[in-house]
Amino acid sequence: MKFYVCIKQVPDVDAPIQIKEGNLIQDTDRMVLNAYDASAVEEALVLTEEHGGEVEVVLVGPEKAKETIRKALAMGADKATHITTDNDVDYDSAVYAKVLATFFEDKEYDVISCGKQSQDTDAGLAGSMLAQHLDLPYATNAVGLSMEEDKLVVKRQGDAGQEIIGLPQPCLVTCSNDMNEPRIPSLKGIMQSKRKPMETIALSDMNLDEAALSAKTKVTGYMEKPEREPGQKFEGEPDELAQKVATLLDEEENVI
Amino acid sequence: MSTLLTHIAVSDGKIKRASLEVLSRMTQLAEANGHSSEAVIIDANASDHVDEVQKYGASKIYTIEDAIFKNHQNTPLLKALSKVMDEADPFVFGFGSTESTKDILGALAANTDAAVLSDVSEFELTDNGIEVTRPVMAAKILSDNKATGDNILVSVRSGSYDLNESPTEAEVVDIDFSFDESELKATLREIIGASGDKIDLTEAETIVAAGRGAKDDEGQELIEELASVLNAALGASRALTEAGIMDPSLQIGQTGKVVSPQLYIAVGISGAIQHVAGMANSKVIVAINKDPDAPIFDIADYGIVGDLYKVLPPFIEELKKIKS
Ligand SMILES: Cc1cc2nc3c(=O)[nH]c(=O)nc-3n(C[C@H](O)[C@H](O)[C@H](O)COP(=O)(O)OP(=O)(O)OC[C@H]3O[C@@H](n4cnc5c(N)ncnc54)[C@H](O)[C@@H]3O)c2cc1C
Ligand SMILES: Nc1ncnc2c1ncn2[C@@H]1O[C@H](COP(=O)(O)O)[C@@H](O)[C@H]1O
Repeated sequence: MKFYVCIKQVPDVDAPIQIKEGNLIQDTDRMVLNAYDASAVEEALVLTEEHGGEVEVVLVGPEKAKETIRKALAMGADKATHITTDNDVDYDSAVYAKVLATFFEDKEYDVISCGKQSQDTDAGLAGSMLAQHLDLPYATNAVGLSMEEDKLVVKRQGDAGQEIIGLPQPCLVTCSNDMNEPRIPSLKGIMQSKRKPMETIALSDMNLDEAALSAKTKVTGYMEKPEREPGQKFEGEPDELAQKVATLLDEEENVI
Repeated sequence: MSTLLTHIAVSDGKIKRASLEVLSRMTQLAEANGHSSEAVIIDANASDHVDEVQKYGASKIYTIEDAIFKNHQNTPLLKALSKVMDEADPFVFGFGSTESTKDILGALAANTDAAVLSDVSEFELTDNGIEVTRPVMAAKILSDNKATGDNILVSVRSGSYDLNESPTEAEVVDIDFSFDESELKATLREIIGASGDKIDLTEAETIVAAGRGAKDDEGQELIEELASVLNAALGASRALTEAGIMDPSLQIGQTGKVVSPQLYIAVGISGAIQHVAGMANSKVIVAINKDPDAPIFDIADYGIVGDLYKVLPPFIEELKKIKS
């Protein structure tokens, strides 16, 4: 079974952020493996450990993103392809999906998995775009995966309940981080990752036309969120606190 | 004059409020800019909902009715949406950002070569596109984005716009649609845990949300009692859905649902950014936590520092008195 997992490098959302003249500035330039993609890698590893097969990760991004590819290899992925871009491209999900679709055109696979969204932008678009370009049956927001002969069985979180969906292979699935706890690479895994095959393709060598690479959506700036007014904090006897707050909610806020 | 089209999502025989919020906004933009506000209902009983949709100012309502739409499945929905885009040629096509929308939005954009912006909290028209605001970086900050093109898809977070009635007499156009089940490559086998009478979190006026602090049976009983006294929907942090203590569909936050109730009571929740991402737009936030430094207190209007097992029983009693 051949699994491809599309992984993305994203800024660490936990690091402090500043906005200067509409630009986003992070004191630490810390970049991480998108958490949802880490879950997709984990699940691919579990399924191939159980049923046999190979996991390859694909990343579109600048040179710096190699460290994120290494992380996935250290977790246990077998090999990687790095499609390299310039440092400061302003691609949106549609462009990345187009690039990935071009990459996959001549590839053979049983399952392509993506994260359900990028952790920094929460766009949640590239996965189903890619499925559409490749004309693959797909399911998004998977919270559980299992294999059944030639089918991938996906448990996805829908609006109200969980939908169990059977996907004939080849297919595409986008993964929620509610699916598993991604493994932390072991020292051995980290050592081995350095010897695993990593192919590098320059995006400029992929014969994508101008239109495919020009984003229809653009970020024009960043803003602080309007802060919530600091509220009141109560400490003391539970009975008194309970009464005080219940009364405020009723009389001041009118929300009871 | 261009068309501003809104997708009306129906689930369990009820229109999702998020769709009507988008339609309200579209109607307002259409009036201000000389465009026409139109809507499309795709459902097993689409025509049942025409009257309701007319109240929000759609001048033309497309219906696509087929039994296949009883449950969400992406292939038939995509086919129907692509068809209505052919027919209506919308300049902007708006969606409420539900899980079903997230499932198809990217695919629809790829299918129709449309520009797309998802999960926005505000949107405006420009001459050749739209400008939007989106929460990013786990909703710690906002980004301004623009999209250009003749067809632009946008999905809007629930609670971003108020419902605004402006009744019209709409022209109703039924679009001929057929879907052969053999076209379905993916098969929906089963739906677990969906029950029609659950209060939809994204539409709830009051939410009682529980975190790791309330993970044992006693904690669960207390939050259920609190929710029942307030006639509130139950929500949860990831700590509890992950542990299998509360239903996964109740998760609120970056991975879970985005909510905007009048009152949000966070019980034993620390206030991690990924949780706050889903509830920071609540009108009044109450937090009960024994750690005075818990980050949830930074955004709570009323913080109760204390042990939830000691605070909740008298709090529930007090609320019962007020209610009676
Ligand atoms: C990509 C990503 C997406 C995520 N998405 C989500 C999401 O959608 N939703 C979400 O919730 N989380 C999400 N998380 C996880 C999030 O970061 C936190 O781990 C999670 O919200 C913690 O849940 P909690 O507050 O219940 O638990 P904890 O952080 O463990 O907090 C428990 C709190 O309970 C208090 N407490 C304990 N006992 C008592 C008592 N007796 N009385 C009063 N207070 C008590 C403690 O002081 C503590 O503050 C996501 C994480 C990542 C990386
Ligand atoms: N540059 C990229 N390289 C590889 N995969 C990507 C890239 N961008 C997006 N993806 C995949 O698409 C998912 C998220 O898409 P989106 O939220 O639209 O950015 C990620 O979780 C990845 O699986």
